[in-house]
Amino acid sequence: MYTVPFMPLSVNPETIETTETEPELAQVWKVIVLNDPVNLMNYVVMVFRKVFGYGEQKAIKHMQEVHELGKSILWTGEREQAESYVFQLQKWRLQAVLERDD
Amino acid sequence: MIDFQLRVDSRILQAILPELEKTFGKASKTSGVTFACPNPLDEDFVDAWESGLKEEFLNDRKSLARLLRNPKFKHGYVEVEEDEAEELLRSLTELRLTLRENSLREFTDEDLENGEVELDTHKPSVRIGYFAYLVMAEIQEKLIAECP
Repeated sequence: MYTVPFMPLSVNPETIETTETEPELAQVWKVIVLNDPVNLMNYVVMVFRKVFGYGEQKAIKHMQEVHELGKSILWTGEREQAESYVFQLQKWRLQAVLERDD
Repeated sequence: MIDFQLRVDSRILQAILPELEKTFGKASKTSGVTFACPNPLDEDFVDAWESGLKEEFLNDRKSLARLLRNPKFKHGYVEVEEDEAEELLRSLTELRLTLRENSLREFTDEDLENGEVELDTHKPSVRIGYFAYLVMAEIQEKLIAECP
């Protein structure tokens, strides 16, 4: 069932501005790994397990996504943790990027 | 200690060793940082990010330098301390990426991913680069199997 969202009768402009300039740190960020032709599949699986603590099946699923779709979203969450994951992935020479989760 | 014998003809190994040393030298002369910093507009952040990666890469290369200098490696024998296996894996990846950018530019990504490479139509230097690329992959495969 579709519910009509609550619509306020009057809006305080300051409230709108505060929402639009929400600090980057409070937003949700995606850690994305891009495909490359060099890294071995089992290397990529091993890196996902080491960096994110994923089980083998989950790591394989993400590796297959990277291989078949060109990229996979490995994690979403706070900016600081996302940056740390991207750094670790790049340390393992994987093409990892950060994107805002819209 | 992790140790194993590569399944590669010693003549091939002798042929690719100079290529490996040359490529390793090339990789070592660059910072190796070709990865996108997530905050490119903040100069201080970019500096910290790149110097952090550079330090990691320098450390990783030491393990590969030890492997290449080990006299047993010329005979296809790989020896690495367990606590250096991850560093070696990463520096082998760097070496393969450098080989891909330098010696293997003639191949498409699909050729390399599928291993469908017609070597007969390429120059000897490209063939040697490709064999080096494969041998590095074999070392990685065996290390991954041994890694905890």
